[in-house]
Amino acid sequence: MVSHVGMLSWSAEQTNTPVDLRAVTDPAVDPLMPGGAVLLAFTDAVLTGAAIPAAAAAVIDRLGGDAPAAAAGVIANFQMMNRVADGTGMPLGKGSRLRQAEVIAALGLDRFDHQDER
Amino acid sequence: MTPFAHPAVPSAVAESLRATWDHLARPGASWSGAERVAIAAAAREARGGETGDTDLPAAAREAAELLGARPGSARREWVERITADLGDPRFVELVAIVSRLVAVDTFVEALSVEHEPLPGPADGDPTGEIDHRARRGAAWVPMVGGASITQSLSLVPSENAELERFHGPMYMTFAEMEDPGFRRGLHRPQMELVAARTSAFNECFY
Repeated sequence: MVSHVGMLSWSAEQTNTPVDLRAVTDPAVDPLMPGGAVLLAFTDAVLTGAAIPAAAAAVIDRLGGDAPAAAAGVIANFQMMNRVADGTGMPLGKGSRLRQAEVIAALGLDRFDHQDER
Repeated sequence: MTPFAHPAVPSAVAESLRATWDHLARPGASWSGAERVAIAAAAREARGGETGDTDLPAAAREAAELLGARPGSARREWVERITADLGDPRFVELVAIVSRLVAVDTFVEALSVEHEPLPGPADGDPTGEIDHRARRGAAWVPMVGGASITQSLSLVPSENAELERFHGPMYMTFAEMEDPGFRRGLHRPQMELVAARTSAFNECFY
C-alpha cells in the first residue's frame, strides 16, 4: 500500500491532479480526483462482491465504456501483487519508508506492517 | 463462448488470460501440471468459488487457502513453517499460482463474467528449473539480487517471468511505470488510486 500511495501522490503531483490521500483508507473522505469516488466505489464492490453491476454502470457514466475493464485490470493486478508481497515477506525499503514517513503516519499505515511479527 | 471470450473482456487482456491458463496447466519447476491446477482449485474454493480436485499435501492446501482468501494474515512464522514442509521452491511456485488465479478470477468477477473453468493439466514432469543464485535476505524467501518486488519470485525464473508478463496488459509494464502520465482506459493517478485501495483492502503494507 505504501508503494502505491507514493505512486498516487507522485503521479497526481506530476499531472496536476487533485487528490486527498486519506481517501485510500477512509471511505468517508472525498478523493477529490475526477472520477475518483466512482472508482473507489467500484473497487470496493469488486473486492466485496456486492453490487458490482451498479458500481460499473456509475464508472461508465462518469469515465466512459473502457473504464471498468481498465479498473478491473488494476484491481486484478494488485490482487496478484499483494499476495506475492505478503507471501514472500517483501519488506518496504528504508528509503521508501523514509520518503513516505509523513504519509505512513498520517494514514496510520504502520498498522499493516507485519514484517517482523512472528 | 468461454468466459475469456466474453465481449466485456478486451481482446488484449483475453489473450493474456489465455496465456496465463496455458502456463498454469504446464508442469512448473517443482509441481506437476495436475498439482498446479489443484493448487489453483484450492485457492478458488477458499474464495468461495467452485469446489475442485484438491488432492494436495496439507501444507500446500493450507497455503493456497490462506494466500487465496486472507493474504494479509501471512506472517513470517507461518511462512517458515510452510517452507519447512514444502521447501522454498515449491512454496514460491505456489505463491505464483495462487496470486495469478485470484487475479484472473477477480478480473472476470469485476466484469460480471463467470469464472473460466480451470484448464486440464498438461502431462510431464516438473522442470526443476531453480535459480541457485537466490539467497535469503530481508524477505522471507530467497531471491536473486536482494529483496525487490520485481525479483520476488526469482527463485523460480519461469514464475518471475510470468509475473512480469501478466503485469503489463493488466496494469502497465515495469518500464511504463516510469511515466506519471500513462493512460490506458484510466489516467495514471486514477489507476494508482484503485491500486492503493486494493492494497488497503488486502491490508498489504508494501
